[in-house]
Formats: sequence, structure tokens, C-alpha cells
Amino acid sequence: MQLVQEEENLTFNQFKDWYENRHEYAKAWKERTGGKVIGYFCTYVPEEILYAANILPVRILGSHEPQDVTEPHIFAMFCPFCRDCLAQGLKGRFDYLDGIMIAQSCLHIRQAYTSWDLHIPTDYSYYLPHPMHVQSPHAIPYLKEELIQFKKSLEKWIGHLITDKDLKSGIELMNKNRRLMNQVYELRKEPNPPLTGLEAMYMVVSSQMIDKEEHNRELELLLQKLPSRDIGDPGERLIIIGSEDDDTEFMKMVESLGATFVTDDHCTGTRYFQKEVGSSRDLMSAIAERYVKRVPCPSKDWPNRTRLDHILQLTKEYDVQGAILIQQKFCDPHELDTPAIKEKLEDKGIATLFLEFDVTVPIGQFKTRVEAFLEILREEDLF
Amino acid sequence: MSKAKYPFERLKSWGKAKTLRENYYRDFAEAHDKGGIRWAGGAWSFDAIPSGLGEDVWCLTGEPYGATVAFNKELALECQEAIETKGYARDLCSYMRNYWGSIILNKYAWPQFSKEFPKPDFMWQDHICCSHAKWYQVASDLEGGIPMFSIDVSVGPYEELTESRINYIVGQMHDGIKWLKKQTGRDYDDELLIKAVHNEFRSCHYWAAICELNKTIPAPLDEKTMYALYVLGTLRKSSQWTADFYEKELYPEVKSRVERGIAAVENEQCRIMTDTQPPWAFLKVFRYMEKYGCVSIGSLYTFSLIGLWEDKEDGTWGPKAIPEIEITNRDEALRALAKWNLSKPEWQHFYHPQLKSEMMIRIAREWKLDGVLLHFNRGCEGLSLGIAENRLAIQKAGFPVMPFEGNMGDEREFDLTRTMVRIDAFMESLGMKKLVD
Amino acid sequence: MTVIGIDLGAKNTKVVILRSSEILATSSVLSGFDQQSSAEEAVNEALNKAKITREDIKHITATGAGMDAITFANDTVTEISASARGISKVFPSVRTVIDIGAEEGRAIRLNENGKIIDFGINEKCAAGAGAFTEAMARALEVELEKMGEMSLKSTKAVPMNAQCTIFAESEVVSLIHQNTPREDIIRAVHDAIADRITSMTRRVGIEKDVALVGGVANNIGFVDSMKRNLGFDLLIPKDPIVPEFISAYGAALVAQDTMNGG
Repeated sequence: MQLVQEEENLTFNQFKDWYENRHEYAKAWKERTGGKVIGYFCTYVPEEILYAANILPVRILGSHEPQDVTEPHIFAMFCPFCRDCLAQGLKGRFDYLDGIMIAQSCLHIRQAYTSWDLHIPTDYSYYLPHPMHVQSPHAIPYLKEELIQFKKSLEKWIGHLITDKDLKSGIELMNKNRRLMNQVYELRKEPNPPLTGLEAMYMVVSSQMIDKEEHNRELELLLQKLPSRDIGDPGERLIIIGSEDDDTEFMKMVESLGATFVTDDHCTGTRYFQKEVGSSRDLMSAIAERYVKRVPCPSKDWPNRTRLDHILQLTKEYDVQGAILIQQKFCDPHELDTPAIKEKLEDKGIATLFLEFDVTVPIGQFKTRVEAFLEILREEDLF
Repeated sequence: MSKAKYPFERLKSWGKAKTLRENYYRDFAEAHDKGGIRWAGGAWSFDAIPSGLGEDVWCLTGEPYGATVAFNKELALECQEAIETKGYARDLCSYMRNYWGSIILNKYAWPQFSKEFPKPDFMWQDHICCSHAKWYQVASDLEGGIPMFSIDVSVGPYEELTESRINYIVGQMHDGIKWLKKQTGRDYDDELLIKAVHNEFRSCHYWAAICELNKTIPAPLDEKTMYALYVLGTLRKSSQWTADFYEKELYPEVKSRVERGIAAVENEQCRIMTDTQPPWAFLKVFRYMEKYGCVSIGSLYTFSLIGLWEDKEDGTWGPKAIPEIEITNRDEALRALAKWNLSKPEWQHFYHPQLKSEMMIRIAREWKLDGVLLHFNRGCEGLSLGIAENRLAIQKAGFPVMPFEGNMGDEREFDLTRTMVRIDAFMESLGMKKLVD
Repeated sequence: MTVIGIDLGAKNTKVVILRSSEILATSSVLSGFDQQSSAEEAVNEALNKAKITREDIKHITATGAGMDAITFANDTVTEISASARGISKVFPSVRTVIDIGAEEGRAIRLNENGKIIDFGINEKCAAGAGAFTEAMARALEVELEKMGEMSLKSTKAVPMNAQCTIFAESEVVSLIHQNTPREDIIRAVHDAIADRITSMTRRVGIEKDVALVGGVANNIGFVDSMKRNLGFDLLIPKDPIVPEFISAYGAALVAQDTMNGG
């Protein structure tokens, strides 16, 4: 792990820098291109259509700082993440946004959007109804129609039509980004993965806020460097599973204890970029199909829990020994899946540790628990 | 004690409502003895649809069942602790946890009808909040695998309804009927479906009409009593017995109370409404407020979980008219049912708190309220959605608001003493004095 | 005309004796298990100080968590109303009162006549109240009285999430293990509780002037955190009605109003 800390600055510096200076980046992007920026609240938002309109989509995330401004707007039983997101808006950190939008998913994040809509003036605001019953055959035609309506609304706002050519290039750009990140993830399957979980997190999260064109170029450079990169023995190979997660402090702490995250099931990870838009001639249908058939958020994963098999598949492909199940406190959709996931993993001999995120995590307390968890994994290794 | 300001009289229909509710839980328990079918699902589900399977089909709706458990403190605690040991989080919907607890303890909240929790033949649900479909997904796990069908109804506000959105729901309904036939091996009778749809129209219309009568001063009904009445709609809104009770017994009685000036709270001097489900184990809060001559005339929750509403010609909010349409086939019935339900006021706020605030302010004005009590309900993320914004909007419209935290189904999250103190402070701030000690 | 206001709080019982709006005496004793006798003790102490007897008293109004236990009181008033009444007498310009007792934090908004427009109370949790600082002082092995002073010596803000006392206590322990200077941890504790209190106050709306009352207002470190959060100064009552006496004073004023036929 020593090696990583020294070399980190070189290989993943750009991604980390983008993540940490997202607002400066977006402001400079606007200045440079004269384009519009839309803040979005959930990864079910079809960024393809935004790119087709030359709009930069940036995901609204929290800042992991305690705050006291959301209490009048969101009841404290909702997740700390949605409150942290709203706080960024109330504090004016996203004052460069031209618009905001959400695609329907969980109730928690929906409130960050609606309170933002009520209290922070923006030029454009769109609520995209989105099927929750993604396992129904009616979900794709329904979403397709919603996407058409959304495209119309965007066209009205920007003042010109979005052509099929535009859409195709939006799709290509998004697909390329997905493909490249998948290629990076492929390398994590190796016995000695050339990157840490923290680095992977910087890579994926930054892709949600940076012009994909630029991000793709950086990914291509990265893919040239990674095959020859050696960061040593990964130690215990872990998967991290749960809700939105850009808690870099937590990742850093776990990996400093000698283990490595080799993959994840997060909407700031594989759920975001796995599955490309297909090549159908009916572009809107193709986009709709991608968002209906992607690895679902647990709020949409019913009547069958398709994520169970998907997670097991990940643990096999990435040769995982232990799983950290971590979610935003009060996140109902994940809380409704966690016992089933835990049972399934343990049934297959994969030990689990359950933790809850808040805006800040109590690193000391979590460290003790992770250490104990790793000790258990190590003992298993002995026998 | 001073002489009562208004005449008081017990509600005669109350006993009948109680009997109908008991029969419902008994019928579910005994369904199999009669060779019938029993299904479980939400109070907001399209219960008219399984009616097409026959007249020997009985259901158990989860929310009122969870509330029944909550009312029985010992059982509730037992259920909650049981489900926590299974690894389910304490902050999840408390109705759901009470219901799951019943399954794993194998205890029915109506032991006089069945010692064991009656296992349903299938689950029939709808999905509007994050927990709706997932509730029965977990229930099915806990029961060892019971088939479930759930219909997603979250297609945006009624005002913005499009053909494609209705098609999405109706498409799922048609699939649902095929699924029901397959699960039960029975034929499906469209005539029974159409009859159930008409019953549902009547139930929803007349319950709203009854609530509308509470615009009168003094209010003929108080919210604590209304809970025992509206519940029938949450049990089975498409049944003949619910529709008949509302139309032919309750509505005429409440109307006569209005005509005769009968009050629910004989010293009414202060009118409020609440919001979301109450902490069921602590309904005495309402009786406590009566000491101040304070009547809760209802809430958006009691009015419109079952009642459907619309703008009337004079600009007021009144019961949604029963559609004057002739339904001749299954598709027409399903379309009418989908449209009818999508106008449900309690479904609108899922998309924006402003939609709910507007309805609440409208109630505050038309029902002539002095203040509003908002239950920040830790037990229900769906109905507590946006409640902080509702508070701001109602205050801005000029109505004093008292928020209080609690939980509809988990008494560990409700502090009775402190809530009473808060009510005292609120009443003091409204300038009300206790009339009785 | 002489009246008494009693505030039977979770930690201390406070008494104020008023004669024609003039403060004759105040007293404070620890609230014991037997609340009635704590109240009697506090009343007797104040009577002795004022050199008058029970017979001189025309009316007693009680407030505070244990108010119903005081059988010799003529009537009761909630802490919200008592606090509001007390502060608008001391500082008529106040529109927002932040009142932090041992186990409860409250925010009250007043109009220009001192009438309550809105109020908020922290929920079933000690993290927004005086008991929280006490628990943290214990974890840090620092005397409660020194917390304020030490906090002012802090040079660095350390983020801490005061969702719950138990959780915060373990966060304090991890900070100690990481060799974070004690001063910085104390400031973090004060910042955390100030965040929570400010949150609650924002819910009722913040309008100037803002007064801070209750025992915690004597903690200069906490006051500093509050000022930093709000971005302006707070009014804090001084002798003879120190912050923890505002509710008892308010109750006495209510007693006087009642006698004046108010």
C-alpha cells in the first residue's frame, strides 16, 4: 500500500483534482464553452440527451461537512445524503447551474430536488417520471414516451431542436465512457489490481461531474499506464455494496488497514456505468431500454431481487473475500434489501460487515469495526 | 363546569362500523374454511381487480393491519423486536414492521378469529412510495415464498396525466389479471370487476361528502371518531358493504347531525386539522385537546386517503362526482379505475410538496381552522414526505402550525408527556384557555 | 403586591420573587427526586433572602418540566410562554429566543408585542441540550466550568456530528486517540451542539434580535460557536436575571399579570 500513496499523485491526480474542484471546473467549462450546466440528482437521469443538447450534466452530491441549513426543509428522518445535497444549494455552492433535474427514484433524494426547486431560483427545472416497475414489459414504452416529452421540453428551453445526429453522438460519448471505465474495472479482477478502491472511486465519481469528452481522454491515458502499474499485494479483496457513496475518507481508512476494494455495487460505481445503450435505430427506445435494464437501484428492484445474483456474479468475477454493506442512514430501499443480500453472501461463504453512513463518518469507531472484520477474514485464511 | 355550548349526541353508526371491521378480519381468517381465496396487499392497491376472481375472495390490507397491531402496545413491541432480530432496520415503515412481525411470530392481531397468522394465497400490491412493493417482497420472503404482483402507479401528478402514463398502469393491470388467473387457476369475471369499480366510486365519493359536512360549525365529527369510520375504505373500498355503509347509513346520519346542530365536541371553540397517520397508541391526545374546546376536524390524510375530491362550481372543494359512464368491458373498467385512483389527493404530494400545501391551505380556509398540528411521523416516509415544506407554506398562508414528532406504529418514538406540554404551549399561543381540568 | 415564579427544571429549581415588577430575591437549588420539596426549599431560600414570609405572597405560578408536582402553586404556565414573557421584559427588542436547558433546547419566535408566533423544541434527544456538554466534559475529563474558556483557545475546527450523545462520545474518544488537542475537541463539541441548536432555530425562523437563555448561555465557548454560526451577536441577560433565571422570572411576571387581571 505504501507504493500507492507515493504514486497516487501521478496516476489518479487528475480525477481527484476534478472531484475536489468540481465547482471550479464547471464554472471554467461554462466560461470556455458558453454552454449550459444542469445539476442532476439521480443516476437515472439520461445524460445522453443532455450531452446531445450540448449541456453539461453534473451530479449534485454532498460535501461531507456538518450543516445547519436544511432543518426547515427536510424532516430529519430522511437520509443525510439528501440533506447534504440540498445544503450545497442553500449555501450557494451550485450558483452556476442553469437548471436542475431529477429522474424518479427514491423519496429521499426527491425532497432535495423539490426543496431546491422551491427555494433556489433556476432557469430550468424538470421532474422526469421514471418507471419503478422496471421488470414490467410496459416500462420501456412508458419511459420512451417520457424521454420524448423531456427532449421536447429541453428543446423549448435551449431554443433549437435536438437531432438524431446529436442524440447519436450523446449516446456514443456516454457509451465510450462506460466502456472505458469497464475496461479499468476489468483490471481490478487481476490477482494484483493496479488501482485501489479509493482511486476507482475518484475515477467514477469525477465522471459524473466532468465533460465526458475530457474524462474519456483521461481514461484512455490511464488505460495505457495501468497495465504496467504495480501497487503490491492487495491483501483482503473486498466488495463495497450500498447506496450513494463518495466517502473517500472511509475508503482511505479501510485500504490503509491492508485490504483493497476490488469492486462495488454503488450508484457512484458499477451501477452507474455498467450496461451501454444498444444500437437500435429507434434511439429513444434504445436509451429507455438502457435505463430500464441497467443494474437497478433497490427502490426499483421488485418483484424479483435481481441484484442478488448480480452481486454474487461480481464477487465471483472479482474473487471477493469479504463484503462491506454500507448505506446512508435511513435509506429505506437499501434497508429493505440488506438482510437478503447479507444472507445470500454469507450463504456463499463471503463474510459481511454492515455500516451506516452519515454526513461525516466516525472514522475511529468504524476503524475498530473494520479491523475486527479483517481479522476474521484473516483467521479464515489460516484454516 | 359551564353549560355545554352545543348539543352532543353519540354517533349511532359507530357500532356498525366496528362490526363491519371485525367481520372483515374474521372473514379473512376463515376464508379457506369456506373454500375461498385470501390475498394480502396495501390499502391503496386496486382491490377491485381481484374481485373478478369470485365472490369468495377476501383480503387483508397491510396498513390498517399494522395500525391494529400498533393499537395493541404489547403485541406491537413484540413484533418490532422480532423483526429487528432478523436484521431489519428500526427506522423502516412501522406498519410494515408490525405486519412482518406478525408473520414471523405467527400471531394474528385478532386471536379470537385465528391463533395463527393466516397465510395469504397471493400478494396484490401497488407501488407509490419506496416501501410499498418492497414491503410484500420481504413479506413473501418471510412467508417462505408467496407470489406477488405489484402495480407501479407513480406516473406524476393527476393534472399532468397523459395517455401514455395511463397506458403504463392499465397495461400492468391487464398483466395482473392474467397473473391472477394463473395463480388461482380460476376464470375471471368482468361483471364482478365492473361491479367492484362502481362500489369504489361510491365509497370514495360518499366518504368525501361526509368529510365535507365537517365544514359546519360546530363540526359534527371529530377526527378520532373519523378514524374508526374511514378505516372501512382502507379495508376494502370496492366492497358493497363499505359503499352501502357510507352512502346509506353514515352520510344520512352525519347530515342529520348538521341539520340539528349536533357537535362532536360540545364546547367547540377552536378548530384544527392534523396531518399524516396519528400515533395510534396515543389517540388520547385528541381527547386532551378537547379540554381546550379544540376539535380536530380531520386532515388531508383522513379526508383523502379514501375520499376523492374536486373543485366545485362555487370554487369550493367537494366530493368528486361519481363518473356517469357505462362500463361495458374489462379495458374500460380498468381505465376508469386507473383514472379515478390517480386523482387521489394523497398521491399528489409524492411529486411536489407544493401540491400538498395547496390542498392543506385550502382545507384550513374552507373548514375555518385556527391552527394546524403536523405529525412528523417517523413511521411513514411516504406521508411525511415534504412535511417540513408543508409547514413553511401553511405558516406563510397565515395559519399557526405546531409540529410534533412521533411514530404511527412504534410507540418507542413518541413522547406523550412532552407532546402534551407542546399542545399546552400551542393552545396558550392561540390564546385558548382550558375549559375543563 | 408580591408574587413568585418557580421554574422546576430537570437539573435546577429556580425561584424569583417580584414586588410591583421589582425583583426582591432569587434562588436556585438542585432539583431532587422529590420535586415538591425542592420547590419548597428554593422558595424558602428566596423568602429568607427577601426577608418576607409566605403570607406576603399573593400568587405563585410554576413552570418547567416538574411544574405539575408543585401543589402549592396557584397555576402553571408552559416553559415556552414563561421564557417568552421573561425575555420580552428584559429585552423588548428580541424577536427570537433560544432557550437551552439541561435536557431540552427550545427556539421561540416573538412578534413586536412579545406574542409567540412560532416555537420549536428539540426532539427526544439530549444532543441539543446542556446534558450533552456535560457528557462530553466527562468523556474529556474536563471540569464543566472550564469548557468555555478552553474552547476559546482552540486553533482548528474539527468536524463532528452530534447526531446522538452516545455516538458523539465515541467520536470524542477517537479524537483523543488521534491526539487531537483537547481545546480543539472541546470546540468541536460546542460547534456540534451549536449546529443542532441553529438548525432547530432556523426551523422557526431567525429574526433579530436574538437572545440566548438557559444555563448553557453561561458557557462562553458555546456562545462563541453560536455567534460564528449565526454571523452576529446574541443578547444574553445579565445580573440580576442571569440566563438560567429567565423562565422563573417569566413565570413571576405571568403571576403578576394574572393578579392585575391580565
